Amino acid sequence: MTTPAPTVLARDLTMTFGRTRALDGVSFELVPGVTGLLGPNGAGKTTLLRVLATVSAPDSGSVHALGLDPRHTDQRLDMRGRLGYMPQEPGFHARFTAFEFVDYVAILKELHQRRARHQEVRRVLELVGLGAVRGKQIKALSGGMRRRVALAQALLGDPDLLVLDEPIAGLDPEQRLRFRELVSQLGEGRTVLLSTHQTEDVVALAQQVLVLHLGRLRFVGTPLELAGLARGHVWQSQERDPGALAAWRTGTGQHRNIGNPPPGADLLEPTLEDGYLLLLGGDQVQEAAA
Amino acid sequence: MREADAAGAWHADGEVLAAYRDGRLDTAGRWSVEAHLTSCAACRLQARALVDPARLRRLRATLIEAVDVPRTGMVERLLVRLGVADHTARLLAATPALRGSWLLAVAATLAFAVLAAWVSRGPDATLGFLCVAPLLPLAGIAVAYGPGIDPTYEIGLAAPLRSFRLLLLRAATVLGTSTLLAAAASLALPRLGWGAAAWLLPSLGLTACSLALATTVEPLRAIGITAGAWVAALVVTVAPPEPSSVLFAVAGQVAFATLALLAATVVLLRRGHLESDRGFDTTPRFAARRLR
Repeated sequence: MTTPAPTVLARDLTMTFGRTRALDGVSFELVPGVTGLLGPNGAGKTTLLRVLATVSAPDSGSVHALGLDPRHTDQRLDMRGRLGYMPQEPGFHARFTAFEFVDYVAILKELHQRRARHQEVRRVLELVGLGAVRGKQIKALSGGMRRRVALAQALLGDPDLLVLDEPIAGLDPEQRLRFRELVSQLGEGRTVLLSTHQTEDVVALAQQVLVLHLGRLRFVGTPLELAGLARGHVWQSQERDPGALAAWRTGTGQHRNIGNPPPGADLLEPTLEDGYLLLLGGDQVQEAAA
Repeated sequence: MREADAAGAWHADGEVLAAYRDGRLDTAGRWSVEAHLTSCAACRLQARALVDPARLRRLRATLIEAVDVPRTGMVERLLVRLGVADHTARLLAATPALRGSWLLAVAATLAFAVLAAWVSRGPDATLGFLCVAPLLPLAGIAVAYGPGIDPTYEIGLAAPLRSFRLLLLRAATVLGTSTLLAAAASLALPRLGWGAAAWLLPSLGLTACSLALATTVEPLRAIGITAGAWVAALVVTVAPPEPSSVLFAVAGQVAFATLALLAATVVLLRRGHLESDRGFDTTPRFAARRLR
């Protein structure tokens, strides 16, 4: 099986806000499919996604997406025509209905021909399951529905690159399931990068994972590889192991411990979450082992 | 014209369906075919095969477009009625500065200036009005576009529409509405005459200036500088005891007309800078800071 050519190339991205280094030499490649961006609050996820969405320019480093370099105005506008971006806190004109709002963004995306544009607006609203409430004012919609309106506008024009900032936050379990189905369909042939706190969404959806922590890229690989980092570092015990980096009581009454196991520990198969926790707490684990 | 199948049910024959497709049936025949088609899947299938699928899709789209366009807002309907293209009307309707609250604030400011003129009734009672009126479009443009003001600013930045077009469209709308309101208000001034319209050219000149400056610095800063310069010019030229300003005399008016033309030229020549500075460099940095 040949690896598909990368659609996004990020090289040495650096960005500073005052004294905070939001991005610190971040380099990676994205291929078509779904990539999950994991990281704690303040890790720099939103900053990275905004750079990819051409909303802000990095202090140094470069991004090439879909063969285009956003540093050049014309290429940047071309790139914007081919990308869909869902910000973390999308703003709405509250007086607008769902249809009017998505139609408004369609105009910003330069879909000027009225009938074709309206058709496209109906298509994306149907895709996110909001066809029936398209005539309702946004201020009358629930939080989950607003998130879906925001997702709908990102899907306008069937973009080749989708940048979604915490798209799953605020969705109920049924909506999340629908969302997973939708994103996995979208990931066929397109490049989707989504940030999330939910490791199970990454397991369910992503072919690739990026882990960002304090502005630095700590991991690039498959979900299996991320889980694999914790192999030999997850064990169960009757009581909470004081030497564990993290431990919690599971439904079986046993404790699940992550860290450096004592000799003869009852090792468990690691999950992606274990790998993620170990990676972020890795420094402390190293210290404990020394 | 009709034929029965093995089960004894009646169906429309191909010839009737073809005539229906071509519009050759009389009203009664057409209605009878349509009534039958709604209840007979087999005939629907046969009829579908007779129609060009592209034409069917076109007709369907026309039908949906005719019956399923949600009602638009009042401002938008008015703009479309005035001949504005529907997509431009939608862009303008989203201008925060067109909100009722904003228009109310402009109207209240103007009413206050007119009232002050009536109360003082001095030799230059209209001076206050003339000073305030040109600031209104500037304030309007400041709240027309930008981070923290336009709720869809972030989404707009990632869209290919040129910021230049959006800014210009909204500036023109704001200038238009505030000019209309100020013109209406100036009719209520105690001393009507040429002097009562002396705010118009400064208004144009300042608006054009702020846009020209926006090709170099952040739009909000550009507006602040322009407004500051206007106030400074007033302070310098309105010298007591004479309550008037050269800015509203012939020389000042000519200067503002020239300024408006010059600034408009600068905007046209430097519109590319508006593009690269907005949405990719300075302003979003401000937005990003707010988001973090």
